[in-house]
Amino acid sequence: MRFLSTTFGLALAVLATFVAVGAAATLAVGSTSLAAGNGSVSSCGVSSLTAARKVDNSGNVTEVDVAGIPSACSGEKLSVTLTGSGNASLASGTATIGSCAPTCSAAVTGISPAVAASNLLGYVFAVQG
Amino acid sequence: MKTLRRTLVLLAALSTFGAAAGYAATLSVGSNHLWDGTQTLTKNTCTLTGTTQTTDTFVEQDHAPNTHGTEPTFNVQSATGKAHWAFVSFDLSSCNLPATAGADTATLSLRLNTKPAQDRVLTVKPVTASWSESLNWTSAQTLTYGAATTTFHTGTTNNVTLSIPVTIDVDAKIKSASANYGWRIDDEGAISATQTSTFASANGASNRPTLVISYEK
Repeated sequence: MRFLSTTFGLALAVLATFVAVGAAATLAVGSTSLAAGNGSVSSCGVSSLTAARKVDNSGNVTEVDVAGIPSACSGEKLSVTLTGSGNASLASGTATIGSCAPTCSAAVTGISPAVAASNLLGYVFAVQG
Repeated sequence: MKTLRRTLVLLAALSTFGAAAGYAATLSVGSNHLWDGTQTLTKNTCTLTGTTQTTDTFVEQDHAPNTHGTEPTFNVQSATGKAHWAFVSFDLSSCNLPATAGADTATLSLRLNTKPAQDRVLTVKPVTASWSESLNWTSAQTLTYGAATTTFHTGTTNNVTLSIPVTIDVDAKIKSASANYGWRIDDEGAISATQTSTFASANGASNRPTLVISYEK
């Protein structure tokens, strides 16, 4: 009886281990419990942004500079999309907001693909932190 | 019985471990701050030419004190000890551009009245100190200059208009009036024979230097 009990227990332990491993392997596709709630997500104080771009002698945009960013945004990520006719995206880039004295600035470089400044009609900004 | 209890405890522990691992794997990432916005640009063109908007002259190495600010033409010349440098600048104030504007393209047009004997490559450099039409060779040596903006060929045809891209310098000047004060044009090719290019100046009756700026603001 004792032997049977030990064997049964061992079998259960092995089974439980596989069940646990199996459960771990399938965690990504399901949940055993769900909760919903609200969390406030606010701006870091930005009300508007304007950019100034630099060009090379051929008239292609080489850098987009954004200044006047509130210091509360320091260290956050600025995304800039360069838009053309019909608000079509021409290129985009990101930069970490820094150089705060007293407001912050960010410079997006490495604009790719090349954008002729004459085709640039606007910017779309996003600040995320 | 004792063994059975131990087995159940072990089973419970393993189940708990699996549940804990599952909970950790469902943690998500969020943002504390989010903001988005847009900026729209407007495009336009400004053309500068004429005596009130243009300052030009040339200086001569072989006649160092001479000034030529009121003459109808200016020269660029290469020759050992006889170099001539031309200077051209434009007053952008009539374009009413804010410092936040920018040049999309800027093209300097010069009328080549008289070609050199052979095709020459002329160099355009921004002048980074102020000057006037009373400039001469001696005072030109005290000015400061930036790196070459561009070069262009004179060609070997008289009475043609040459277009020279100067976007980067005009863009910089829109953003800061003291970024540059126009350009020096010279022939930096080492040559002993005299090669002179003669251009129409702003003091001439026609074909004056022209700067066309396509800009955004």
